[in-house]
Amino acid sequence: MTHQSIVRLEDATKVYQQGKVEVRAVDGLSLSIGKGDFAALCGPSGSGKTTVLNLIGGLDVPTNGRVLLENQDLATLTRSQVSAIRRDRLGFVFQAYNLIPVLTAYENAEFVLKLQGVSEQECRDRVMGILREVGLEDLENRRPDEMSGGQQQRVAIARAIVTRPAIVLADEPTANVDSTTADALLNLMQRLNQDYGGTFLFSTHDHRVMDRARRLIRLRDGKIETDEVRH
Amino acid sequence: MTLGKMAWRNLWRRKRRTLITAFSIGFGVMLSVTFTGTGDYGYTNMINAGATMGLGHVTIEPRGYNQTPALDKRLLKAEQIREHVLTMPGVSDAIVRIMGQAMFASASKTVGGMFMAIDPAQDSAEQNLLLRSLVQGQLFPSADGRGVVVGTKMAEKLNLRIGKKLVYTTTDISGEIVSEIARVVGIFETGVNEVDGAMVLLPINSARATLHYDTQDATLVAVIINDQRRAERVRDEIAAAVGNPQREVLTWKQTQAELAGIIIMDKGGNYILQLLIGLLIAAGILNTLLMSVLERKREFGVMMAVGMSPATLFRLVLVESFWLALIGLVVGIVITTPWYAYLHYVGLDFSGAVGEDYSAGGVLVDPLFKIRLYKESITAILAGVFGLTLLSGVYPAWRAGRIPPVDSLKVI
Repeated sequence: MTHQSIVRLEDATKVYQQGKVEVRAVDGLSLSIGKGDFAALCGPSGSGKTTVLNLIGGLDVPTNGRVLLENQDLATLTRSQVSAIRRDRLGFVFQAYNLIPVLTAYENAEFVLKLQGVSEQECRDRVMGILREVGLEDLENRRPDEMSGGQQQRVAIARAIVTRPAIVLADEPTANVDSTTADALLNLMQRLNQDYGGTFLFSTHDHRVMDRARRLIRLRDGKIETDEVRH
Repeated sequence: MTLGKMAWRNLWRRKRRTLITAFSIGFGVMLSVTFTGTGDYGYTNMINAGATMGLGHVTIEPRGYNQTPALDKRLLKAEQIREHVLTMPGVSDAIVRIMGQAMFASASKTVGGMFMAIDPAQDSAEQNLLLRSLVQGQLFPSADGRGVVVGTKMAEKLNLRIGKKLVYTTTDISGEIVSEIARVVGIFETGVNEVDGAMVLLPINSARATLHYDTQDATLVAVIINDQRRAERVRDEIAAAVGNPQREVLTWKQTQAELAGIIIMDKGGNYILQLLIGLLIAAGILNTLLMSVLERKREFGVMMAVGMSPATLFRLVLVESFWLALIGLVVGIVITTPWYAYLHYVGLDFSGAVGEDYSAGGVLVDPLFKIRLYKESITAILAGVFGLTLLSGVYPAWRAGRIPPVDSLKVI
């Protein structure tokens, strides 16, 4: 773990109401993710992994406590400001790829850059560069339904990192791909972490991800059970 | 990738649905063109027909004559006014006439009615419904003489034929009762009972002599204009040019209030009907757009998760409805053009159902159903349909912007 913190959860609690039952998905959790981390959240289903990622991503707000991204408390920001933070400082990789079906690989990777208002030429340079990085430079004009799961996930990774975000949040990124593709994707993300110092936080059940993570945070019942840093 | 391009592609994800919606918009254009075109054609015909029944589109007459017509109210120097008005832009003709009430008597009977004293040199069949409705005999050849033209119904009532004598009695310039004998030279039949049973045409100079009018005087100058929609403007221009405290210049809406009232009521009904049809079509469009938003909740969640703002998402859906409106208009133009061309050039003949002499507000209505559209109506229809489609997209667009990403994604 490095010293410069990108994300901090301070005594964060998230309580959901399921009918008449209160569910404590995250229970007084405090956590700090440092710059350059390659960390994984693991634990059984219902342990709160996804909720933690949702809170960090500003997709959800804590019932109690605070979530700080680069020292900004997300709960104090407006919807538009949180959108801008997600656009400029966060990258998301989803389990189900979640590419925009009407856009090509190139356009999907370019999507967030366009939202940022990056110029056409710079978009072109950065997107082609990142597609080369993920090995998809020849598939730039393919739409998601013309690509395999592994190829789609590479595009999703390209979309997440092309903006050089402060942190990439990846939810079960290897869950829907075969083991060869999973290894290739992990190699790719590891390389991006090492070469560019990108920060990655995974939520995973996959041992391949856990094995490669330099920090492994085990959750149980919305609390941290263990937080192991490896070298 | 611009929002416009993305919205365009989104629209074609469900081709059939987009096409069905576009056709419903196109159908809306077609209905609107039909209803508006009926109005534009029908009202113009009624107004023009009304204008040829004596008073024109614009009437110059003595002040107060319209409220209480009486022959002691004269328009002085009417001929001079006519000469001036004929030079004005937008005026296609101007005719000096004397109109008043009289009793008409034959050897057997007497009836009350109206006379219109005209100068055959100024009046023509084109500008005078009675002249183009002559069914027997002919118009008196000059503004002098004792010839008269009567309607078929009056001829029936008074047992008149061509060559028979007719005595008309009225009041002159000083309110004195005056009479004159005349001879029937022609009979007209307009199909409007009120006209055929009460109207008589006289030579204007003979009428002037009977009424003790000066040779320049009359009761009105009927002005025929090129485009009935410009009646108010032409009235104002004429009033500015020849108006004075003794004269007033009125449009057909003031001189033929009954006709104007019928048109206003009909237009109102037409607008309400069009609004209801528009709302029904808008509800269909709203439903389509809302469905397309709700089925893309997850996708919108992803877009917002990666940083698209709710405002941009709102714009995206609105741009989709913009494209839909545009496609709908293109479809509308394509399917409406042949329909319009048929109704404009050929028309539907309803004379079998309503007869040849169907009238409304004392004006003959053509039983041949035709349509025409003025430029401003075309613009209004296109803008209205376009605006309504865009408006239908506002709520779905707002809903899209309000979708919480965490709910739509379930898991990130």
